[in-house]
Amino acid sequence: MNLAEMKTKSMVMLAGLIVVVNGFFPAVWIFFTSLKTESELLQFPITYIPRDPTLVNYYQAFTEKPLHLFILNSVIVAGASTIITVFVAALAAYALTRLKMPKRNLLMSLLLAVSMFPLISLIVPLFQVMREIGLLNNYLSLILPYTVLSLPVCTLVMASFFQDISPDLEAAAMVDGCTRVQALFKIVMPLAAPGVFTAAILAFVNAWDEFLLALTFLSRESMRTLSVGITLYQGEFAFPWPLISAALIVAIVPVCILIAIFQERVVGGLTAGGVKG
Amino acid sequence: MKPSKDLSERALGWLLLAPVGILLALIVIYPVGQLIYSSFFTIRLTEPWLGTPFVGLENYAKAWEDERFWGALQNTILYIAITVPGSLAVGLGLAMLANLPFKRKWPVRLALLLPWALPLVFAGLIFRWFFDFKLGFVNDFITRFGFDPVPWLTNPTMAKIAICITIIWKSSSFMALVLLAGLQSIPKSLYEAAEVDGASKWVQFKEITLPMLVPAIFVALIFRTITAIQTFDIPYAMTGGGPGDSTETLAMYIHKNTLDFLDFGYGSALATIMFVVSIVATSGYLRYTQRSAGRD
Repeated sequence: MNLAEMKTKSMVMLAGLIVVVNGFFPAVWIFFTSLKTESELLQFPITYIPRDPTLVNYYQAFTEKPLHLFILNSVIVAGASTIITVFVAALAAYALTRLKMPKRNLLMSLLLAVSMFPLISLIVPLFQVMREIGLLNNYLSLILPYTVLSLPVCTLVMASFFQDISPDLEAAAMVDGCTRVQALFKIVMPLAAPGVFTAAILAFVNAWDEFLLALTFLSRESMRTLSVGITLYQGEFAFPWPLISAALIVAIVPVCILIAIFQERVVGGLTAGGVKG
Repeated sequence: MKPSKDLSERALGWLLLAPVGILLALIVIYPVGQLIYSSFFTIRLTEPWLGTPFVGLENYAKAWEDERFWGALQNTILYIAITVPGSLAVGLGLAMLANLPFKRKWPVRLALLLPWALPLVFAGLIFRWFFDFKLGFVNDFITRFGFDPVPWLTNPTMAKIAICITIIWKSSSFMALVLLAGLQSIPKSLYEAAEVDGASKWVQFKEITLPMLVPAIFVALIFRTITAIQTFDIPYAMTGGGPGDSTETLAMYIHKNTLDFLDFGYGSALATIMFVVSIVATSGYLRYTQRSAGRD
């Protein structure tokens, strides 16, 4: 290897390092903090790497607040809305790509427009509606709006996958006596499984991350989702950072694992649908 | 037989679209109607004896006179003006770096995905702590270089800067992902040809990369602008709008009016104003997509 090659190689390494540090730094920082004791945190000057690592913050994160309930609530809300979103979006994507629909582009654009509605504008009337029909502090008050939030993106992602499946396969299935809807679920959906899966991950992450609606509609502590629950560890003036860090790590690790395993799909889905971020 | 088959296909299409339609009607269209309607009434849950009288445009007139509203609007515009170009610049930088030929692609890709997947409110919490006066990492870092510690979150101007930095960090990685997809779709042959013609890297960037990236940049900018209009989570977690109301955004002020002051009439008027602003931004986007769809 000559000098010029080595120079290029180390420049590439440096570029990669910049991107990696930029992305990982906050997560690594809170991980280190979650292992610190309260007294080490208050030391001045601050320490970067914990001196005597401890897991006590993880234990306390569960005893101080019902972290296990926050997790359960997030799983229920994100899980249910993901399932409904994928199902409803699959039907719509099928109609928009495989059937001869009038004004297809207009329908797609309208759907995209909905994804850009300011949530805060919806919160005021939705809060009134939820209060009237008694859905406050009910999982449905989040599941339904989350479904709508992810519908446009999921529909677009699945539509782009459905488009690539040959219509001959469906035609063959229908010759064999399948109805159109059966063909959708037995032929098209399995073939578009990667697309369905990508849509599901996007919908799940969207729901897992949402804060504003969750803060507003599920106000009882035992009903809080993770994104809101984590903010409850702080007192008015006190910030138990090691405790908050431990809870944060617990909250982000499942999603991190999910996107680490399926990163190529997620990137493909994000850039195909042009999701908001 | 042909026409009847087409008709049934169309009927099935509408049937399959019906669930989307019902959900949208329930969660978006009806509430928006209710929002605009409520904005013409006095609805104060703290003063139930007032009833809910029709007041015409009084809530809008109140906003016109409300200094806190203008302050929140000003902050929102400031965050848009700084973070949209800021996160485009950082995102483009990250995308260019991530587009280099790495042996292992996953660390870089994951590094771009992590900030995207991190909830906004968590980013706000983590950066609030980075910017802490005494225990924060930022002040520790700058004092090591001999500078004085900066009161990041207790000084109105510094707090705005800290919030903008956090928003740019959080949103630039999504920008980078969209732009990276754009970069990767540029045919390599263009660069090879430029190389043969002896064009420098900078000329290649200016004459090939940027023009080819325009569609991706446009999409990324529109999405960023629309989310920037709604900025809530990050200032909420970092400063709660303080010190005073100096970092409060429009979304935070709407939330405060409705959920804390329980003034639904006024909150609805403010939310309607925001809704109209978003519609303008969205229609710009739609016109662009319709035009590019027509080109295909």
